[in-house]
Amino acid sequence: MNSINIKGPERDEMVSAWNGKINVRVRIAGSGPALVFFHPASGLYWDQFLDNLAQDYTVYAPEMPGTTPGDPYAIYKINTYNELLLIYEEVMRKLGLQGAPVVGLSMGGMVACDLAACYTSLFSRLVALAPAGLWRDDSPPAVADVYVAPPENLPGFLFKDPSIPAAQAMLSLPENPADIPGHIAQSVWNLGCAGKFMWPFPEHGLRDRLHRIAVPTLVLWGKDDALIPSVYADDFGKEIAGSDVHVYADCGHMLQMEKLDQTLSDVRGFLA
Amino acid sequence: MKILSFQQLPYRHLPADFAAKYDSIVTTPYFELVDPRLMHQDHVHFLDEMMHAARCGFDGVGTTEHSQASYDILPNPNLQLAALAYATQSEGLNTALACLGRALGKSKEPLRIAEEYAVIDQISGGRLIAGYPISLSYDSNQNQGIPPIETRARFGENIQLITKAFTEEKPFAWNGQFNKHPSVNLWPRPVQPSMPVWAPAVGNPVTLKGILDRNQAFLYLSWFGPKLTGHIFDRYWDMAEQCGRDKNPYRLSFLQCVAVGETDEEAHREYGPHVQNSFNTGLGCIPLQSMMIPGYHDIRGVEALARDPGDFGIFPKMRTASYAEIVDAQACIVGGVDSVVEQIDELVKTRRIGNLLLMVQHGSMPTELTKKNISLLAEKVLPRLRASWQREFGVDNWHNHWWPTGFSR
Repeated sequence: MNSINIKGPERDEMVSAWNGKINVRVRIAGSGPALVFFHPASGLYWDQFLDNLAQDYTVYAPEMPGTTPGDPYAIYKINTYNELLLIYEEVMRKLGLQGAPVVGLSMGGMVACDLAACYTSLFSRLVALAPAGLWRDDSPPAVADVYVAPPENLPGFLFKDPSIPAAQAMLSLPENPADIPGHIAQSVWNLGCAGKFMWPFPEHGLRDRLHRIAVPTLVLWGKDDALIPSVYADDFGKEIAGSDVHVYADCGHMLQMEKLDQTLSDVRGFLA
Repeated sequence: MKILSFQQLPYRHLPADFAAKYDSIVTTPYFELVDPRLMHQDHVHFLDEMMHAARCGFDGVGTTEHSQASYDILPNPNLQLAALAYATQSEGLNTALACLGRALGKSKEPLRIAEEYAVIDQISGGRLIAGYPISLSYDSNQNQGIPPIETRARFGENIQLITKAFTEEKPFAWNGQFNKHPSVNLWPRPVQPSMPVWAPAVGNPVTLKGILDRNQAFLYLSWFGPKLTGHIFDRYWDMAEQCGRDKNPYRLSFLQCVAVGETDEEAHREYGPHVQNSFNTGLGCIPLQSMMIPGYHDIRGVEALARDPGDFGIFPKMRTASYAEIVDAQACIVGGVDSVVEQIDELVKTRRIGNLLLMVQHGSMPTELTKKNISLLAEKVLPRLRASWQREFGVDNWHNHWWPTGFSR
């Protein structure tokens, strides 16, 4: 069933941030120029998309404080979403990543957009994959619905076709039964930590800041996204001057899994 | 011992297919399900029944808070308790009023709760027991929009603010994470210089530790079936010992659903359908995920529940639980006087319960049957429970530090 092969991160860097109160783990793979990746609310899951990017780039993927195994309470040292952005900016500086391109998925897309809007010269290029961050009454994001959905409904929010091997690999439980409760707890906790900034709505006024984004921007979306509807692709396109927007047919929220080749082709072309 | 009559306020006229079609929280469609005249009637009957219990000689009456729910329509129980405070006062009844309570993990306006408590304490001449639950996940997070991971921190700050607001002599500024007030100076303050506090909880170890640290009484709500969740009593008394607290039975308040008839046969026949309706359409129709939205439980708590979901007892199957399963788990004790006394007495003695709350109305149970339950309990059950408790614990002469101390006491 899980016939895909994922190499995963090659090394980690621990970055002391927020006046020494928080250690941010940054997972790294590949060689070549630096590229930053911000993960979604479910935590950092290293997939084929990141493996492939690591063939051309050195991928730096910081974990949101609280989601790193063994350090769950780091989340309590952050009071607001603004503080999270400050911490990420500090991590970028300390790793010398200014000027790198950035890719963000879902909640990570919101973070990437906000960092690019707040620190206009922090990144060279911005790729937002189905980013959170906006709100429309006529098409609200289903974030709160995901949080209260029974586990068996979760795949339907993330994938148009949850049966694809990449989805099955991501959703599978550990083989050793003794590891399952810890795995469940970490997965639930990751969402809990993200909920600090996403609950009840992942909306912190980004719409009013998007105009500040001054770097070339690519926005990609799955047409059948059940978590953050693809109508938001137009909103991002309208608010970010000169941005390029592609919407993939027959594709859900996790577009980098469901349309891996197309996503890689578009991202590589945009970054080249 | 102290024995209180406890009620929730369910809508008593839900359709037979409710459990198959609806949840009892958050999304339950009001206009589709409710006859306005019956809703009004349920509200009046609730107060009638509480007054009946007070007149029959229960030591107190108690209720709780839930928003946006069909199984407990008490978005602010202080409204009902204010009415009961005046009604009991005007009849010269010395009944304690237990608000169990106002949910502090949910509250964005804790000083309003403090003010309301103080007003009820004034009207009643100091008969209020203050309850401070954290709040259920669905209520604080879905209904109120509190980020789940902030629920407990908000509870912690709110209880500190309320405690200080009751006792601080001079106006003070409060610059908290969730509350900012240039000047806090409550009018009125409670009659009772130190309000008795009961902390309703379902047995989470982190919550129990906080209750013991604050020297409050733990109110264990037994809806999940004490036969299945008995380990929580042991956990509490073990933790009390570890925290250096004494074994005073009044440290433990316990809620038990009960329905008593003249005989076992009569009780099962008369109450059975309502009891089953109550669990199937009430707690049973709360989706499990809404009790544990990610972030609400500590990561260690989630892992413990994933290893052993025993703390939830019969809850996960309550929507379809049969009457026999509900009664077997003691989620509700139903029977004639002798069998009810026997079962409750055993719980009280083996679990060291000092304050006992008996939940007397269940689901669709109409008001006359509810009053019959209350009357029979008061006449035939309470005296035997009290006598037995006295024989078991009386010799130690424990003082109930968690009971009202108002003017009339």
